Amino acid sequence: MHPQRSTPLPALSRRSFLVGAGAIGAGLALAGCAAPGGAAGATEISFYVSKPEVIGYFDTLIAEFHKTQSTVRVIRDSTSNMSADFVRNRPPDLGCWNYNFSMVQFVERGALSDLSDISEADRINPDIKPLLAATADYPGRTSVIPYSLTAASVLYNRDLFEQYGVAVPTTWDELVRVCEVFLAAGISPFFNTYKDTWTVAQGLFDYTVGGMLDVSAFFTKLKTEGTAVDARSAVSFQKDFEEPMTRLGELAKYANSNAASRGYGDGNLAFAQGKAAMYLQGPWALNEFAKTNPAMKVGTFPLPVTNDPGDLKVRVNVDLALWIPEVSTKKDAARQFLSFLMQPEIQNKYNADNNAFGTTKDAPPTTNPALVGMQQYYDDAAFYLGASQLIPSGIPVANYAQSIALGSSPIPVLKQIDGDWARLALRS
Amino acid sequence: MAVVTPSQVSRKVHKPQRVGATYYAFLLPVLVLFSLAITLPAIMGIFYSFTNSVGFGDYYFIGVINYIALFSDPTILGAYGFTIGFSLVTVAVVNVAAFLLAIGLTSRIRGKVALRALYVLPMVVSGIVIAYVFNFLFSNSLPELASALGIAPLEKSLLANPDLAWVAIVIVTAWQAIPSTILIYIAGILAIPSDVYEAAALDGASGARQLWSITVPLTAGYILINVIIGFKNFLNSYDIIVGLTNGGPGTSTTSIAMSIFNGFTNGDYSYQMANATIFFFIAIAIALLQLRVTRGKASV
Repeated sequence: MHPQRSTPLPALSRRSFLVGAGAIGAGLALAGCAAPGGAAGATEISFYVSKPEVIGYFDTLIAEFHKTQSTVRVIRDSTSNMSADFVRNRPPDLGCWNYNFSMVQFVERGALSDLSDISEADRINPDIKPLLAATADYPGRTSVIPYSLTAASVLYNRDLFEQYGVAVPTTWDELVRVCEVFLAAGISPFFNTYKDTWTVAQGLFDYTVGGMLDVSAFFTKLKTEGTAVDARSAVSFQKDFEEPMTRLGELAKYANSNAASRGYGDGNLAFAQGKAAMYLQGPWALNEFAKTNPAMKVGTFPLPVTNDPGDLKVRVNVDLALWIPEVSTKKDAARQFLSFLMQPEIQNKYNADNNAFGTTKDAPPTTNPALVGMQQYYDDAAFYLGASQLIPSGIPVANYAQSIALGSSPIPVLKQIDGDWARLALRS
Repeated sequence: MAVVTPSQVSRKVHKPQRVGATYYAFLLPVLVLFSLAITLPAIMGIFYSFTNSVGFGDYYFIGVINYIALFSDPTILGAYGFTIGFSLVTVAVVNVAAFLLAIGLTSRIRGKVALRALYVLPMVVSGIVIAYVFNFLFSNSLPELASALGIAPLEKSLLANPDLAWVAIVIVTAWQAIPSTILIYIAGILAIPSDVYEAAALDGASGARQLWSITVPLTAGYILINVIIGFKNFLNSYDIIVGLTNGGPGTSTTSIAMSIFNGFTNGDYSYQMANATIFFFIAIAIALLQLRVTRGKASV
């Protein structure tokens, strides 16, 4: 038997190996570039959307947009650090982001381009424009186009309310009576989650302040006071927020006993399990309840903080707004995608699908049973921006709100916020 | 000194400039990287601390206003107070615990190697992971255990108590920092020649006396290194605090590093650059102190 002789392979020299590897690598790289692009000469724009729940949703919209035309290709980015990107002068061509304090610096330093000349700007509901200006404004510019408005108030367990025969309260006294009924029945009236400071800020803090004060007017006056904010100024946190913060303290008594060590996730679980009658969260929590209890019936009502039902208002925030940076070199392509997103059938469907309200004059009313309790307040523009969102983020207001909820006396904390505000005014 | 330095040797053989150039060539890559990544950003940061910049866009000079605001800001002063106090306590806890454990792990016991591996394990877990695990233990397990055993003061989460949350941070930080400290102490203790102990034993010295009069003085250099390096590390605490309390309740456990980083993400850039500048000079002071006190002693 002859051993089978295989022809020896030509020895692979290092150079030919490297050339081969390089060619394969280059081929892969080219294929990678070609895949999303397709049509030659298309303008590529980067589109920033970071809201985790809707990234997939926007991917679908991007795919639809690519089907309708071939001149603009959209690359979605969800991971960049926005401040760092602006510092490097490389922001996205189109941003779709929460319009809150994190946007203030970009707007007020003129980093966003003027969008007043696009047709979509005229369709925006005029009631919403003051909200935008109250957050951040660059004189003479329409810096952003609001896309989605989230309204938040008290979420309540409709089954529990029915079972104990209590109606939705419209005054503070009624609210206290509702709490007493649940307390007597051994059910926690509220489920609070102080461990996550933001939940205290957006819930207890913003609802008690917004239910008592004209938030926009307060902050407009506060800005003119600047470095003079203290006990003697026309408005101040220690004077105007004392009453709401006292209410906050009273409400905290009706919360679960372990509120101090519970976080957002714990709260969603407990509320969905029917362990409490009311929960101070926004509609973003609805999908979380559905994971635990898909059949749960949830309703909403504005938190009554005074005994005048005319003071009832809901907390809103511009959850998504579209903007195009000044330094973008592809503004036209970015505007094209912006117009695509702003088509009524696309925008309205987005807001209906994501428990939100529209931003245009012709936005249809919500049909979501969990949100209909707030429709009237939306229509009447009986809404306010959360005070915690209007305080510059250099002031750790959520932490301050947490310490009041945990039982600190409000006045020293509010004095601290006044001091922080004055120092911030001094240095900016 | 009778020591002959390399340059003296080389002078006899080669021209000194040639050797010097080689040395500089070796230094160059690190020098360039260090300048670009550390020195330049530090100088830029100090520059921005005298402006009202938010990190981009227009800004103008506002002099030392950031520094004035800084020294009258109770939150910032509180962060310094907390960070320094926390570092001092943690350094003491970590070094006492690690020293005692190192003595145990170098004595004649069964399964010494396996035990050493076990004690060093926390070193390989990332700080944020440790923090989240302990967060769960402090928020859920410990209160439930306490209420089952009827220990009323512990039924409320330690992390939710503004006066005691720092204790939880000390415990977790120590848990993570002890292993690396143990390793240095084990090396130090093993380096002590055994004849010293034999001589002491012959003279009738007790175990405690041997520990106090031999082990401690002969590891003094290691103790010094551990204390200074540990203190410097704890001053920079960030990840464990973020994972445990995120600076709360209120602002009671906000560290300096946290307030600096929050400033960067919250548009308070130049203000926190002023804070960072102050912190930088404190760090330099500690580094100089370290150089001064370890000169000579570290080689014991």
